[in-house]
Amino acid sequence: MMPTWPAAPPAPGVTPSNTYTTTYSAAPAFTPVPVRQSFAQPYGNPTSSRSPTTTNHSDQADDQSKKKIDWPESVRQYVQRSFLPANLEPTISRPEMEAKLKETITHATERGIMFALDWDTMPLPQELILEDRARMAAVSISLPSHGGSPNSASKKRKSGDLTDRAKLASPPPWRAGQGARLEDRVTYTNKDKRPTVDEPADNTSKLNKYEKRQKRFNGGYTSTYRSPSPPPCDGPVVGTCQDLEKRYLRLTAPPKASAVRPPSVLRQTLELLKKKWKKDQNYSYICDQFKSMRQDLTVQRVRDEFTVEVYEIHARIALEKGDLGEYNQCQTQLKALYKLGLKGKPNEFKAYRILYFIHTANRTELNNALADLTAAEKKDEAIKHALDVRSALALGNYHRFFQLYNETPNMGAYLMDMFVGRERLAALCNVCKAYKPDVPLRFVTEELYFETDIEAAQFIIDHNGQELLQEKEGTIMFLTGKAGQTFESAKKQAFSRVDIKGQI
Amino acid sequence: MEFGNHLYREFEEAWEANNGYRLAATINPDLSAAQLGKIHQSIDPDSGNWKASQEDNVKGSIKRGLQSTSIRTRGFDNDEIKGWTDVYFAYWTVTGTLARARAQGPSSQVSLQLLWTEVFEQWKKFVNALVQGYNNYGFEAWTIPCLYVAGKYLRLFAMQADDERSKNPSENDSANAFQDDFDPETDKHQKLEDCARVLNRVFSVCLNDRAPLEESRKWGIYFIINLLFKTYFKLNSPSLSKNVLRILTAGRGDMPDFYSFPRSQQVTFKYHEGVLNFLEENYAEAEKHLTEAWGLCHKDAIRNKELILTYLVPCRLITTHTLPTEKLLEPYPRLQRLFLPLCRCIKKGELHAFDLALQEGEDEFVKRRIYLTLERGRDIALRNLLRKVFIAGGFMPAAEGEKPVRRTRIPVAEFAAAISLGSQERLDNDEVECLLANMIYKGLMKGYISREQGKVVLSKSGAFPGTGV
Repeated sequence: MMPTWPAAPPAPGVTPSNTYTTTYSAAPAFTPVPVRQSFAQPYGNPTSSRSPTTTNHSDQADDQSKKKIDWPESVRQYVQRSFLPANLEPTISRPEMEAKLKETITHATERGIMFALDWDTMPLPQELILEDRARMAAVSISLPSHGGSPNSASKKRKSGDLTDRAKLASPPPWRAGQGARLEDRVTYTNKDKRPTVDEPADNTSKLNKYEKRQKRFNGGYTSTYRSPSPPPCDGPVVGTCQDLEKRYLRLTAPPKASAVRPPSVLRQTLELLKKKWKKDQNYSYICDQFKSMRQDLTVQRVRDEFTVEVYEIHARIALEKGDLGEYNQCQTQLKALYKLGLKGKPNEFKAYRILYFIHTANRTELNNALADLTAAEKKDEAIKHALDVRSALALGNYHRFFQLYNETPNMGAYLMDMFVGRERLAALCNVCKAYKPDVPLRFVTEELYFETDIEAAQFIIDHNGQELLQEKEGTIMFLTGKAGQTFESAKKQAFSRVDIKGQI
Repeated sequence: MEFGNHLYREFEEAWEANNGYRLAATINPDLSAAQLGKIHQSIDPDSGNWKASQEDNVKGSIKRGLQSTSIRTRGFDNDEIKGWTDVYFAYWTVTGTLARARAQGPSSQVSLQLLWTEVFEQWKKFVNALVQGYNNYGFEAWTIPCLYVAGKYLRLFAMQADDERSKNPSENDSANAFQDDFDPETDKHQKLEDCARVLNRVFSVCLNDRAPLEESRKWGIYFIINLLFKTYFKLNSPSLSKNVLRILTAGRGDMPDFYSFPRSQQVTFKYHEGVLNFLEENYAEAEKHLTEAWGLCHKDAIRNKELILTYLVPCRLITTHTLPTEKLLEPYPRLQRLFLPLCRCIKKGELHAFDLALQEGEDEFVKRRIYLTLERGRDIALRNLLRKVFIAGGFMPAAEGEKPVRRTRIPVAEFAAAISLGSQERLDNDEVECLLANMIYKGLMKGYISREQGKVVLSKSGAFPGTGV
């Protein structure tokens, strides 16, 4: 079956140059996830809201200010800022700007809120105009496009990614031909962007930058600042899309119902994907499909046992393929879903979670994971195993650690495989320091749980220990007494950094 | 303080004395519902110009009040008056809502939730008005205690709002609509995260002041940093504090001397710096800061001293293998319960009892984030047990005129017997050797294992460093 990719109809003027092909690249489609280190979110600054808190007009009160117009410095700066080249909007003409400015300021003067308004965070006129346009477009999104040459658009978009994004975002008609915003994407080293000396380097510039950045990402589609009451929330989307397969695209705008699959379809999708995974084992395809499934569930706010199943299966597949970034995303979701009381395999995944944080050596999260466990859960086979692994490592009991490695339940071994190498090095360092003059190679094989002596010897040789292997009366001995610091640096390196994309 | 002559007089006098704390007292929200109500009613928004908006009327009233004072003649310009008018207006706004929130009983949950959210949002406006004042209206540095009050209550109101909301879980997560996955954490600490953002701005207000040190807002920095630390810890992301520390280290040269700041701020800062290092397993560094906090701490600040010890005790267990004396813990019953059972087991080398004690306190330890550290106390318990075996081994027959030497070649089986007995589980010799190897590797025991002979050969001079044998 030829999958169809229903996404939003391409915006007028955008030639869908990059139609989706079914051939997935062989490389795993690992998706780097931004590490959440700060709480950078829009500064919802209600003081900047344009809806005035006043409702009573008072011409009288304003007479004073009208007669003697003493523009506050902040207003003057606001006007200046509006015309900074870096802030100019190619789609907006100067008369339009001036009209808007006048409207804004008159409005403020008339209402007597000139001094009350926070001009530093006040949206610039071009932003207001864009917002107005967006609002109009929201009313009649199907307005025919006007103006603009289609060519200029496709010429400016460079990568397929951008085209895709533009397609999905389905920019409103006025943007179609302009191919705007590319300017925004270019990083200016323009001096104008820096705050001037008398304008303290405070949040204002950051705010502007933030707004701009956000605008860039949602294509100026939504308003970038909020009125005190959140925008009318029309509830989650209810999907109508009937296609079983759908390519994953990062959302940059509220999704369209026609591009979202309802749970009933997603259930069929899951069955299809399970079959495909068994048959083809094409991870990049599967990962992509699962991500789009997750997205469809999220935007429709479906959080039920089916959701759990989707995440669980994706997590297992990601584990198997060693895609820890994706696995970790699923795990984080699962943790929250189980907390809602949804059924699934919480113990299996809580055990993975512990092993995962052992691997990433994330003490904070490990502590959190411990805090989350109930007494009953601590007795569960898989969780107990993970806890034992943790404590064995904490106490340096490699003997027990490798025994536990041998008896890992479920798919935990995929995780343990990730750090068994570095633990072998640590154990080897231990053995070298403690045993003199030597130990049989067999001992290393058994203690460090190698399959064969050859494998053990290879491991030692791989870490520059070939000199330390010697035959004595028919037995291969490992000269621990002569090892010195041989494995220390390798150990240090192995423990130094666990770098996983999307790691929390 | 109600709006009226009294308040404006206070404002004036605080101004004349350059007394920031006195000024800050005029914007204190920590009042009863009745007091707050009075403040709110002391300005009638409907009096004055009947056509003007309520906001304008209130502001007008405040502005007139401020202008009536003598500060105007002392170089208090229009901008500054406008700034303070905004601040007091924002304060006035909050008092109304806060009075209602404090007057509400616990019965009306839904409205309480809305009220506290509103209190937070209004207080945030108040903080922003202050920030604006510093950025744009030339507020002077001596007034920074106002920022302290602002920041302190911003955090408290945020937590209260989050708290009330968590009692009524709702489906209000429109913020997640764009995400691929929903983010469970944002909702829980929504307001507190918002608070962290605002505090960060306040932090910048203090940090980026270029005025000479005597009149710099930099003097407010540690108060705000401490608030940020608390907020980040509460948000379960203590690591975010690192960013603050990094900025601080980068600008250290321009900063007033740390020890010139109020002692209380020093203690709080050092405590957090210590705990941060503790959490990252930099125990030596952690010990340094915590010890300093301990030394700076006021002798009667029992609660703070208890907090410091909570981390300093496990810290010293790792760095110097020392245990707290009972005398040290005497004033802190909670710490006694927390640490003494473990300490006893460590001292006596009782492995099984140690495991039980660790299990017993696990929930509390995990909550305080000291579990993973205390767990390593087992090494010391084991060391003490092995040392007993060594001592029980007695002395070798000494040569004439020489001091007798302890028996230093000890069969692994002897240690195995002790460990099996101590931990009440059967360990095979390989596992025992592994534990011994660990002791040697960690430097708790000096010597080596001879696998061929099945013996441990201990050092003749100090087999267990630091323990006298």
